[in-house]
Amino acid sequence: MNGNEIAAKDDALFRSIEYTGKNFYYAVGIFVTVIAFAAFLYLGQIISGLGVTGMAQPVSWGFYIVNFVFFIGISHAGTLISAILRLSKAEWRRPITRMAEVITAIVLAIGGLHPILDLGQPGRIWHLATSGRLQSPLLWDVTSITAYFAASTVYLFLPLIPDIAILRDRGTKPRWLYQFLSWGWQGTPKQHKVLDRTINILMIGVIPIAVSVHTVISYIFAMTVQPGWHSTIFGPYFVVGAIFSGIAALLIVMIVFRRVYHLENYLKEIHFSYLSILLLIMSLLWFYFTFCEYLTTHYGNEPDEMRVFFYKFSGDFAPYFWAMIVCNFIIPVAILSNKKTRKIKGILFASFTVLIGMWLERLIIVVPSLANPRLGYPTGIYIPSITEWALFAGGIAVFMLGFLLFAKFFPLISVWEIQEGRASSIKEVAHRLRSYLPDELEEDDIKKALH
Amino acid sequence: MSSKTIKFLQYASIAWIWIFVLSVDIWIISLLIVARRLHDAINASVGIGIIAIPLFLLIASALTYVFFGLQKHREVDETRHGSL
Repeated sequence: MNGNEIAAKDDALFRSIEYTGKNFYYAVGIFVTVIAFAAFLYLGQIISGLGVTGMAQPVSWGFYIVNFVFFIGISHAGTLISAILRLSKAEWRRPITRMAEVITAIVLAIGGLHPILDLGQPGRIWHLATSGRLQSPLLWDVTSITAYFAASTVYLFLPLIPDIAILRDRGTKPRWLYQFLSWGWQGTPKQHKVLDRTINILMIGVIPIAVSVHTVISYIFAMTVQPGWHSTIFGPYFVVGAIFSGIAALLIVMIVFRRVYHLENYLKEIHFSYLSILLLIMSLLWFYFTFCEYLTTHYGNEPDEMRVFFYKFSGDFAPYFWAMIVCNFIIPVAILSNKKTRKIKGILFASFTVLIGMWLERLIIVVPSLANPRLGYPTGIYIPSITEWALFAGGIAVFMLGFLLFAKFFPLISVWEIQEGRASSIKEVAHRLRSYLPDELEEDDIKKALH
Repeated sequence: MSSKTIKFLQYASIAWIWIFVLSVDIWIISLLIVARRLHDAINASVGIGIIAIPLFLLIASALTYVFFGLQKHREVDETRHGSL
C-alpha cells in the first residue's frame, strides 16, 4: 500500500494542507500586521534604547521577562505531555501529541527570544558568547532552553517523517519540501524499527530536560536573596505552573483547530474530558504550592518579605493577585469539577482563564519583588509602555501565525499514529489487560466487551 | 528540484546539525576553561558541562542514526516515484 491508499480514510487530516480558503489569507494578513506593528516599535527601541519601555530603577525587569517565563511555561504543553502520554501508552494520546509538540517548538522559539528584547540592543547577545560565566543561572537558562528547543524540535520532526512521506506520495506541493524532509521513508519494518527506537530514547530523555528548563528558569529568581524570590520550592512551583498553563494552551489550540478544520471525528469529547481532568488536578496542585509559598512567608514575618507580601495581598498588586487566584483556582475548579459544566465551552473558558491567571502569576512574581527592594528606596512603579504591549501582542501573533503555517504544510494530527491505533491498539490493550487481571481473559470475553 | 539536489540538501542538513551541536559544545568547553582560569565556581560549571555536552551530542546522534537508518533500510521500488 502506498501513501495514497493508506491515507485515503483520513482525507480530512489533509484538507488544511491541500485546500486554502480565503479565511487563511485573512488570518495571515491580520497576524502579519500585528507582527509588523510590533517590529516597528521594536525598531524604535533599538534606536532609542530601553527608555521607551516602562522599566526603570528599581523595577528593571518588566513585560519582557514576564513573557519570557510565561511563553517558556506554555512550552511544557508539548513535549512533556506528549512524552508522558506516549510513555504511559495512553491510547487516547494519538490525535493530541502532534499539536502539543508543535506548541512547544513555536513557543520555545518565541520565549527564548524575549531576553534579547530585554537587552535593549540585540547586539549585546554577543557578549553572552564572549564574556558569559557558566556559574550564572542566566547561562544555565541559555543552555537548558537551547537543549530543550533542540530536543523538542527533533521530537516533533521524527514522528512527522511518516506523515511527510504520505504527503510526498500524494504528490502534495511543494513536492521538493516533502521529498527533502521525508528522508527516504518507505514504511518498511526496519525503518519503523529505527524510528520507534529513536522516538523511545528521546521520549525518555526529553522529560528530565523539560523539567530542568523551568526549574532553571526559577533559579534566575530563587538564587538571589531578593524578598519574594528566595524560595526553595520555586523549582517545582514553576514546573507545576508551566505544565498547568501548557495544558490550558493545548486545550485552547485543540478546540480552535477542531472547529476550524472540522476535526470532530478525531478530537472527541473524551479527549477534552481527560485533558480537562488533568487541568483540574494541576489547578489544585498549583493552589497547594501557592498556599505553601505564601504561608511560609507570612509565618516567617521577616520585614522585607512582608513588604512584598502585603504589596501583593492588599497593596498596588492586590487586584492582580486576587484575579490570579480567581483565574487559576476558583473558576477552573468550579467549572471542571462539575460534570455538567465540563463540556467543550466550559473547558475553553476555564483554559482561557488559566492562561490569563498564569500570565498574572508571572507578573506578580517578577514586578513586586523588584518594586520593593531590601535597601530603603521608595516603592518602585512599573507601567508598561505601548512598545512592551505591542511586543507582547506580537509574540502571540507569531505563535498563531506559526501554528497556522504549520497546519498549512503538515497534518496537525499524526496520520500514521491514527492508522497504527486502528491496526494494533485493540490487540495491544487486550494484551495489557491480560497481564493486569488476575483471571485469564478469553478471546471471546474481549470480543463480547467490544460489541 | 532534481533528486541529486535534494539528496545533497539532506546530507547538508545533517552536517549543519553537527556544526550547530559542536559549536554549542565548544562554547560550553570555552566557558569551562574561563571558569578554571578565573577560579570562578569551577564545580558548578563542570556540573553543567557534564550534562549539557553529552546531551547535545545525543540529539545530533539520534538524528544521524535515523537519517542513515532510513537510507539503509529502503527498498528499491521503481513504482514509488521520488521516495528519496
